Amino acid sequence: MSLFRYASSIYGGNDTLIGANYGLLPWFALAGVAFAIAHAIFKAVAAPGKPG
Amino acid sequence: MTLASTPAGRVQRHKLVDRAYHWLMAAAVLILLVTAFLPILGLKFEWVGIHWVTGLVLTVLVLFHIIRACFFQNFWAMMIDGTDLKAPFAKPGKYDLAQKLYHLAISVLVLSVIATGLLMWRKVDTPFWQRDPYWLSTESWGLVYAVHGLVAMALVTMIIIHVYFALRPDEWHLTRSMLKGWITSKEYQDHHDPRRWQAKDEA
Repeated sequence: MSLFRYASSIYGGNDTLIGANYGLLPWFALAGVAFAIAHAIFKAVAAPGKPG
Repeated sequence: MTLASTPAGRVQRHKLVDRAYHWLMAAAVLILLVTAFLPILGLKFEWVGIHWVTGLVLTVLVLFHIIRACFFQNFWAMMIDGTDLKAPFAKPGKYDLAQKLYHLAISVLVLSVIATGLLMWRKVDTPFWQRDPYWLSTESWGLVYAVHGLVAMALVTMIIIHVYFALRPDEWHLTRSMLKGWITSKEYQDHHDPRRWQAKDEA
């Protein structure tokens, strides 16, 4: 899945960059959730009770 | 004010003005993300006006914060120093290495989204000017939109991480300090190195 969106030029030639690919939004959200879960597991398993 | 003289054993961590800045910025960013992404997710409404006005509010807030951090706060409290790198898990000053890295990342993202947003403002009719879609070339507009969109999505990731840490029980004292302004003297002693954060200087 591309990071960007492109539009075809009506004059031919290369596609033109028109913005970010918003289809990636769920993946960005999932990355945040995955980090939180991974950190929570790490804290529970590797450093239980340790502050910070 | 020294630690011994603080009322009820409390140490001021965030002044009211800084807490107000934090929550106003949070509200502005959430409004910006909601007005940006809900239409993309299928909920159609007149979002452009709310979005650019809120973007302008965010810009003013961030300018205020930069001026305040540079001239009225201890600017270096948030900067990564040698001690952070030599002993990243030692007791920190006011902010630990992870918080400083987060602040650095969020600074880059927010400044990027503001810079590109201000450019995109040129494509919106406002009381100050009429839109001019030919102000930049098609390729340049594409780059501006791409950066703005990618950064906005990255902000979603960062906010989820931020809320996660704010809700962790072992970080509640920091969350409380962003609501009420203070941490207890015990929390100060347990979590901070007084040589690196002299609370009486920060209050």
